[in-house]
Amino acid sequence: MADTGIPLGPAKFEVEGLDLWYGQTQALKKVSLKVAANSITALIGPSGCGKSTFLRVLDRMNDLIDNVRIEGLVKYEGDDIFGDVDVIELRKKIGMVFQKPNPFPMSVFDNVAYGPRVHGLHTRSAAERRALVELVERSLVNAALFDEVKDRLHKSALGLSGGQQQRLCIARVLAVEPDVLLMDEPTSALDPISTAKIETLLDELKVRYTIVIVTHNMQQAGRVSDTTGFFLHGELVEFASTKEIFFNPKDERTENYISGRFG
Amino acid sequence: MQTRIHFIEELSRLNHDILAMGTRVEEALRRAIEAMKAQNVELASEVKATDEVINALQLKIEDQAAVLIATQQPVARDLRELVTVFKVADNLERAGDHAVHLAKAAIKLAGEPPFRQVERLAAIAELECGMIRGAVEAYLNQDAEAARRVAAIDDEVDSEHKLIVRELLELMRERPDQVERATRLLRASGYLERLGDHMTNICEAVVFLVEGKHVELND
Repeated sequence: MADTGIPLGPAKFEVEGLDLWYGQTQALKKVSLKVAANSITALIGPSGCGKSTFLRVLDRMNDLIDNVRIEGLVKYEGDDIFGDVDVIELRKKIGMVFQKPNPFPMSVFDNVAYGPRVHGLHTRSAAERRALVELVERSLVNAALFDEVKDRLHKSALGLSGGQQQRLCIARVLAVEPDVLLMDEPTSALDPISTAKIETLLDELKVRYTIVIVTHNMQQAGRVSDTTGFFLHGELVEFASTKEIFFNPKDERTENYISGRFG
Repeated sequence: MQTRIHFIEELSRLNHDILAMGTRVEEALRRAIEAMKAQNVELASEVKATDEVINALQLKIEDQAAVLIATQQPVARDLRELVTVFKVADNLERAGDHAVHLAKAAIKLAGEPPFRQVERLAAIAELECGMIRGAVEAYLNQDAEAARRVAAIDDEVDSEHKLIVRELLELMRERPDQVERATRLLRASGYLERLGDHMTNICEAVVFLVEGKHVELND
């Protein structure tokens, strides 16, 4: 493994010698890396290389799958996430945005308010209701969506465009006030204009959050991320600054993949 | 992959033009120095015509490279190769300009008995023809070691140039009536010295292409 050279803030995640098996199949092999706080880390690699599996380790989503065996160390803010950790609290801190926007069949407002309500935010008093409205609006503003939906907050979210729905999903994650955003191909179902909006948004969000994004779009990884990891057959082949990966990669496999020589 | 094949084809077309450009620059330099030696004004004028071809090739190469960047979005070594294409074309074009300057000096110096330093200038030009060819070949073969060897020739060029300067300054002190002509020759030697620097720039770009790091090959 090349030097992982943490480019920015202190490490948010520290992963050491991570192995993961689905039954007999090993999906991750001795993965070690550090994710810097307030940075954007892009994970690239061909289908089935383990990048999404790795992403799902970070908020322990793989717990939901049978037959998964994990070895190695994954620390979030210095604590072993497989140790004495409240998974619900962990997932509240570490939000996930998926490939396809998946708004709930309810109003725009209720979509964003859903998380805070589930996590026990009460709306019995007028002050509490005002606090919820403020939280929803702030989340929509931070997801760069508020101006487009402010006149239709109480209409169904299903009427929004794909790009708006995806930003709504981001707002929904932000409303829970997380610390980390995990994104699994968040723009692959979107048109270029919606994609550009989300990419701009990512750049604004990294001031407050740590972002890890899985993407098939290499230009996107190049545009938005500070650090890039290239996965192949479950192995983290190269992990370095995005500039280094796209201009002067050290490993020939990385060079071949990003230049379209295979994959 | 179809697009990769297309990219490689376009790149080889580009490199073919770079080879053509390098050949023209070498040819221009040979003609310019030959014109100076033979006091052949007609031959010197031909150098200017060749320079138009060289300039046109530079624009063609740069346009092709820009289109490839826009349409293929190359990364890593592919991108470094295209960045290098711009540097190679730019430095070859500047070398062509220096050949023209030399040809103009040849025209101005014709008609009077030549200085013996012209022979020294011809020797430098010979070294530089080798540099032009070597630099272009190092680029085409992506050979960093060859690039380093070519750049090393520039040291010889520089010391030859210094000798010429010293001799001409002495001549000017002894023959004040020859100051104007000697100054022309002094400047001509300066153009040749600069031409060598441009070839060194190409060699540095080749090392950058191959090794991904910037180097200074001639301090």
